[in-house]
Amino acid sequence: MDLLSNLGLGFATAASPENLLFCLIGVILGTLIGVLPGIGATATIAMLLPITFELEPVSSLIMLAGIYYGAQYGGSTTAILINMPGESSSAVTAIDGYQMARRGKAGTALAVAALGSFFAGTVATVLVALFAPPLTAIALEFGAAEYFSLMVLGLVSAVALAHGSFLKALAMVVLGLLLGLVGTDIYTGDPRFTLGRPELADGLSFVGLAVGVFGIAEILRNLEGGEADRTVLGQSLGGLWPSREDLKRMVAPMLRGTILGSALGILPGGGAVLASFGSYTIEKRLSKTPEEFGRGAVAGVAGPESANNAGAQTSFIPLLTLGIPANPVMALMVGAMIIQGIVPGPNVATEQPDLFWGIITSMWIGNLMLIVLNLPLIGIWVKLLKVPYHLLFPIIIAFSSIGVYSVKGNVFDLFTVAFFGLLGYAFLKLRCEPAPLLLGFVLGPLLEENLRRAMILGRGDPSVFLTRPISASLLVLTVMVIAVMLLPRVRRKREEVFVEGD
Amino acid sequence: MHLIQRTAGLTAVAVLWATSALAQGYPERQITMVVPFAAGGPTDTVGRLIAERMSEDLGQQILVENVGGAGGTLGAQQVADAEADGYTILLHHIGMATAPTLYRNLAFDPVADFAPVGLVTEVPMTIVARADFEPADAASFIQYVKDNADTVTMANAGIGAASHLCGMLFMQAVDAPIVTVPYRGTGPAMTELVGGQIDIMCDQTTNTTEQIKGGTIKAYAVTTPERLDILPDLPTVAEAGLPGMEVSVWHGIYAPAGTPQEAIDRLSTALQTALADPDVASQLGELGTAPSPAEDATPTALQAKLSGEIERWRPVIEEAGVYAD
Amino acid sequence: MRKSFDPTDALAGIVFIAFGLFFGLSSLLRLDIGTAFRMGPGYAPLVLASVLLLLGVLILLSALRTAPEPVTALAWRGMLFLLPAPILFGLTVRGLGFVPAIFLATLLAAFASPRMRPWQAVVLALAVTVFSTLVFSYALGLPFRRFGPWLPV
Repeated sequence: MDLLSNLGLGFATAASPENLLFCLIGVILGTLIGVLPGIGATATIAMLLPITFELEPVSSLIMLAGIYYGAQYGGSTTAILINMPGESSSAVTAIDGYQMARRGKAGTALAVAALGSFFAGTVATVLVALFAPPLTAIALEFGAAEYFSLMVLGLVSAVALAHGSFLKALAMVVLGLLLGLVGTDIYTGDPRFTLGRPELADGLSFVGLAVGVFGIAEILRNLEGGEADRTVLGQSLGGLWPSREDLKRMVAPMLRGTILGSALGILPGGGAVLASFGSYTIEKRLSKTPEEFGRGAVAGVAGPESANNAGAQTSFIPLLTLGIPANPVMALMVGAMIIQGIVPGPNVATEQPDLFWGIITSMWIGNLMLIVLNLPLIGIWVKLLKVPYHLLFPIIIAFSSIGVYSVKGNVFDLFTVAFFGLLGYAFLKLRCEPAPLLLGFVLGPLLEENLRRAMILGRGDPSVFLTRPISASLLVLTVMVIAVMLLPRVRRKREEVFVEGD
Repeated sequence: MHLIQRTAGLTAVAVLWATSALAQGYPERQITMVVPFAAGGPTDTVGRLIAERMSEDLGQQILVENVGGAGGTLGAQQVADAEADGYTILLHHIGMATAPTLYRNLAFDPVADFAPVGLVTEVPMTIVARADFEPADAASFIQYVKDNADTVTMANAGIGAASHLCGMLFMQAVDAPIVTVPYRGTGPAMTELVGGQIDIMCDQTTNTTEQIKGGTIKAYAVTTPERLDILPDLPTVAEAGLPGMEVSVWHGIYAPAGTPQEAIDRLSTALQTALADPDVASQLGELGTAPSPAEDATPTALQAKLSGEIERWRPVIEEAGVYAD
Repeated sequence: MRKSFDPTDALAGIVFIAFGLFFGLSSLLRLDIGTAFRMGPGYAPLVLASVLLLLGVLILLSALRTAPEPVTALAWRGMLFLLPAPILFGLTVRGLGFVPAIFLATLLAAFASPRMRPWQAVVLALAVTVFSTLVFSYALGLPFRRFGPWLPV
């Protein structure tokens, strides 16, 4: 059988003692750097990239893949422990993961994230091995109209991210969309809302915004009234491991998250950003206890983390089958390949099967190492929370400043952090939640670009959104989501009176 | 901002110090090479390749610093403001020559504020189309584009990108206003071309060669005076009937203006040595390009190239009326 | 009627209205709007800004009919010392260099908590500086200049 012999070749390559070692080093380094606040997967890989240049091509790519998984997991760890996401995907993990940590369930949250990631990683690796070429064909069907409809669907679902006022959540999404449009208009070159600063030509920095509205705002909140609030975090750490009930509650979300993440990860035009947000929305809708969401729901960590990791895996598909990078991380991988003398293209699988299958199997090995390494580490991460807060937060500020600065070497991004720290704190006081703002920020440019692109390609005819089958299906789905959202709202109106007061 | 804070006295001290340090033998500490684009991109790749070999020759490490943003102008600005001591250099591409026209309020002058070191490489470009685009050869392609100018769509990777510059030249050459669709970077543009969502594009061989060989896209012409070794069947633009469309994405190394001549000469020698290395040649070959010959890896050659290209692109950009600011 | 007025929500509404006005007016004044079929750079921002403005008004109106919720104290000291820390790092990292910049930024941030004693802050800042210089500058080889041109080192 073809697949088995291919996988055999892959394991023969990836499981050589030397490559296993590099994979392990990659996972460790990735986790250690990725866990620093404000440093997400992209920044970690950019920092560690030069280390891999001296290695053999296959070893270097295997180590890079290890760094990638390690950094992803490290990023989730920081999101859970101190509410500091370094990447759009871990922003969702921060919502409920951090609330779990505040309730002394940091260990559980980390374990749920690790198990969810491992499961999703395993499933997605099999998907990549089995279906990479046909999945590529589907991804190529996505044009501007399809992306636009997908973004609309994502946006409509976004409101579920909030657990407070519906109106305010909507306003935060819209504000996020507007902030996402800051920068040079790619169609005309006009600067938009840049206040004359050339540093804003490429838009606001995501890391700066996320670190500000999530991390800095949270630190400020903790500093209110002599840090009384913080004792919640320091004291009872509870069981490190998920209880049997927790495990039971994470199975279904993990499965759904894996499917969603695998599907969206294939899309090279930014579909993957929707995966973890989408999973969160689905879990909240399906949950029997939606009121738990935003206050530490296990499903709110398990689903998005699985989606995120599955998407991370399947986003390799366009790179492996077409040689086209789907996201900044994959672009870095291409850079690494080229430096190694491998020019990625549609022929990699046939011309260099050991490399192709070696990378695919090392994905799984990397995930395995990640969980072996990180489950014992959870105890140490959680102990970090016992460090007195007034010693911890200056360290967080220092590392996140370095992290933000290291991404582009741009001083202006640090000013962005301070500005959004203040704004984020203001919104916190005004009881407006930051997650919808962040989703809007990520979707804003995608939504507008694809809308305008679809209109140009369709010669100004808006019917393209309905005549193209995938686009039309997505819009139908959007309408259904709206209907589902409105129904329970009406039904629950009466009960709400009693729930209020939290 | 730090220019204001830095007092004239301190600068004078620094210059004196730098000059005295040079007397003892440049370079005596690590050099920073600013690449004004994100890590992992094509320019970054060229930068890292060359920096590694130059480090060997100089006996000091060259660190690559990625200062991305605003089409490379932020990184270039940073080098223009840096101390002219030979320890901060810039690797930039053709964007150095288009920036003065594309950015109407650019705060630096590519000619006056920089001391050229030498040309590194010139990457050819290819005119490509989706795999099922009808025309069979270059001649019928040009005719088809002229006849269907209002329905043919052309992708580019954003304003100021190589694909955008080449696209403007192409439209001038065929004398037809084609519908242009910008994307955010080469990746998405190439994906939609492979997916058949868009018709044509003109992009660097770095991005197109493997796709052409794999048959996922179709190629009609290459923008060099002679055919390429890696794509021997592809006619040149002159053969195809598009004269004056010779264009390449050339890369050069610059130091801030006022850098001591000893440092410039030393860097230029190191660059020539690096470019003569067969490993560098083979790695650049993988990218579909070749190292610049030794006589081009000199300050005078880069100076001439830069001035010539600034003048060449000004009317092209002004006629298209698209600016990046 | 007066009793049931929530100042927090009202302020939130005003903030959204302000953002809506900023983005809306900048689009109208500075950008080409275009039409729905040939959208200019100002089209999407104008539409979104109008929606934001409308939402802001709705939030403000509903605040007039809601019972107020208790407002907690503001972290004034936190804002005073914490927010300028990344800015200080940004202003000094190129001039003074990475090492002094990270020391100063950490030291400044440390004073955001009233529990921090001056000697603790200095020790903490030193420890962070040594650690991050070793990790980022030496181990990872990030192109940070350790001591900058403002210092005669």
